[in-house]
Amino acid sequence: MAQVRKRLGATDGKIRMPDGSEHYIFGFVDITGVPDDRIFDFRGKAQLLSPLIEAYQGDEVFLTLTNLGMPGRPDLDDGHTIHWHGFPNQIPVWDGVPEASMSVPVARDLTYYYRPLDPGTYMYHCHFEPVEHIQMGMVGPLIVRPELEKRPQYARRRFAYNYAWTEFDREFLVFLTELDSTAHRMVEEAQPYDWTEYRPDYFLINGRAYPDTVRREHESELPFQPYSARINAYRGERVLLRFVNLGFQQHSVQVPGISLTVIARDAQVLRGTAGEDLIFERDTVYIAPGETLDALFTAPVPGTYPLYCRNLHRITNAGAPMGGMITEVVVRPRPLGCPPVREGENE
Amino acid sequence: MRTINLWVKDGYLSTPDGNSIYFWGFAASPDAPAQVPGPHLVVNQGEDVTVNLVNQTGAEPVSIFFNGQRGVRTEAGPVRPQYDAQGRLVSFVDHAEPGGGTISYSFRAERPGTYLYESGTNPHKQILMGLYGVLVVRPLDFDRSVPGLKTAYGAGSGTEFDREYVLVTGEIDPVLNAAAERGQPYRISKFRPRYWTLNGRCAPDTMLGDSLPHLPHQPYGAMVMAQPGERVLIRLAGAGIDNHPLHPHGNYSRVVAIDGSLLRNGVGDRSYHKFTVLLGAGQTCDLIFRWTGLGYTPANPVPVPLPNRRNMGVGDLGFTMWSGSPYLGVKGDIPVGVVSFNEMGEYNFMLHAHEEQKITNWGEFPGGLMTMIAIYPSLPPEAGSLS
Repeated sequence: MAQVRKRLGATDGKIRMPDGSEHYIFGFVDITGVPDDRIFDFRGKAQLLSPLIEAYQGDEVFLTLTNLGMPGRPDLDDGHTIHWHGFPNQIPVWDGVPEASMSVPVARDLTYYYRPLDPGTYMYHCHFEPVEHIQMGMVGPLIVRPELEKRPQYARRRFAYNYAWTEFDREFLVFLTELDSTAHRMVEEAQPYDWTEYRPDYFLINGRAYPDTVRREHESELPFQPYSARINAYRGERVLLRFVNLGFQQHSVQVPGISLTVIARDAQVLRGTAGEDLIFERDTVYIAPGETLDALFTAPVPGTYPLYCRNLHRITNAGAPMGGMITEVVVRPRPLGCPPVREGENE
Repeated sequence: MRTINLWVKDGYLSTPDGNSIYFWGFAASPDAPAQVPGPHLVVNQGEDVTVNLVNQTGAEPVSIFFNGQRGVRTEAGPVRPQYDAQGRLVSFVDHAEPGGGTISYSFRAERPGTYLYESGTNPHKQILMGLYGVLVVRPLDFDRSVPGLKTAYGAGSGTEFDREYVLVTGEIDPVLNAAAERGQPYRISKFRPRYWTLNGRCAPDTMLGDSLPHLPHQPYGAMVMAQPGERVLIRLAGAGIDNHPLHPHGNYSRVVAIDGSLLRNGVGDRSYHKFTVLLGAGQTCDLIFRWTGLGYTPANPVPVPLPNRRNMGVGDLGFTMWSGSPYLGVKGDIPVGVVSFNEMGEYNFMLHAHEEQKITNWGEFPGGLMTMIAIYPSLPPEAGSLS
């Protein structure tokens, strides 16, 4: 049992869309290990998505949240929290709902403690005035790795869950959110916004809109959107897609030419109470806000396979095609001399 | 043989932000106020049910469509669609004329489960106006006093429960209701909900008790209450026209049935665990929620200390539902000036739509389609019982 110690700062910042527009956001930034007298250098440097949090099943996670304040909105003294969405048998003090426990005021810390026992794909987000703070960008991915990987016979192999058939070679996140630029502008300008008017005009995968989705991670032009959404694999590799929807709309996601095997939903392997096999195949993944879904596929014939939102008005940037929720699955031939992906496999 | 009488009337719904919204609803007696949702109808499997409807509104015919029930009849024979003189469809089933007209439906409740009943007349308007309710059919062998027979779908179905709650979702566009009140036209394609409801109420009213004098038309609270380890049957019903992803905090739930249909193929269990359940419009979904906790007590304390009270935000909205302690059944300190609704150190877990614009009242958080699941250290047995 290891300990994972991480510290997140909550603050605001700016992100960029492919059409050149900039948008004010709230978000988290990783300040793990930063000396206390330097943490305020991270004010205004929120990133979208928020930093990935990873742990092994059984680890102790000490997650410290520091409220760095909002340099873009100095009038705003909102608290923040971390809600580990889907954590089983949670208690209120670690659940991050301010109405049912507490929040973190500006310039204060709170250390959340988790000992995750169920592997899978989760998400976290701020639950303080959630309609505003989630839409403004305080959302991030959370992965709990199965204990199976630590067994000697499975050394250096990777699994989504505690079943050998959940093995994968590569994993990618498909984290869906939307952005209503009017809401973001109103919040930036300290104006009231009627959330029942929510009408997003940018549609994001991993915090970026197409074509930025297929650019590399940590692009210098996208300093606060570090995560690429491009999916790369060699032919024959098993690829795990971890779908998360933390927008406010339901999305139907397709990858024509690639059949997805859905192995888990909401961090629960699709097995019945007596072990019944409930996994299923899909060409289209329909996913609602607050849901996660894990799908496996075997990388097919080399080529470029678009992955996009089949709600086609969402493959736009502020109405202009092609943009929004599009990315690419790029399959390459296995390099010469590379052994088969796994023993007994015949290409 | 069960006879149920329902009257269609109008009234005004109350929202927590001070709005009064004209609505149509079902009432349980000629003297009772109309209510949203309509009275819970609880019948037994195999029972012959007759529902007599009296339409006391002056505006439109009204009917009842019993989702999931087979062989529904009126005195005249099997129910059938109704058309006006120009041949335009008015009702999916036989209706009662306005101004005191009556109609009588009968059917045999063949399958146990959770079902919607709702208006089949101008449903795009009348259901949104409040003409909906929930029908619960008890399995043949149901016996609330025998643990193995207190089930949703019968002995051996894996649906034993300790407490049960009905949560019906709905949406309100006040412009539609005002148009109906004034007899003006309304284009449903312009539907723009400003309120989202659970059991006809918007949060925070969802968390209040049943049958309150100041909410005469919204008698059903939506607070889910249980003790640790209890199996809580949550009967979800989507009465509006939108789908809602519902997220109970605290734990995942086991989805045991959809549309009154047990998730089982022969002996093969097809139930599954979810932490967010997408409830479709017109759908019902039975969940079993169970929270057992992580074993923290004052004797087995949480591994990190809580900050000093001055360094935490408690009651940012002016109230809190927290006890001030990390431990179940323990009351701690909360800051002066914060109103606490915590009774005995119970844990509150939010249950809400994860399309977060729906947990507002006309854009203002908190509100809308949100309630709490409260885990109490002890709770009287009658909490969470459906008559």
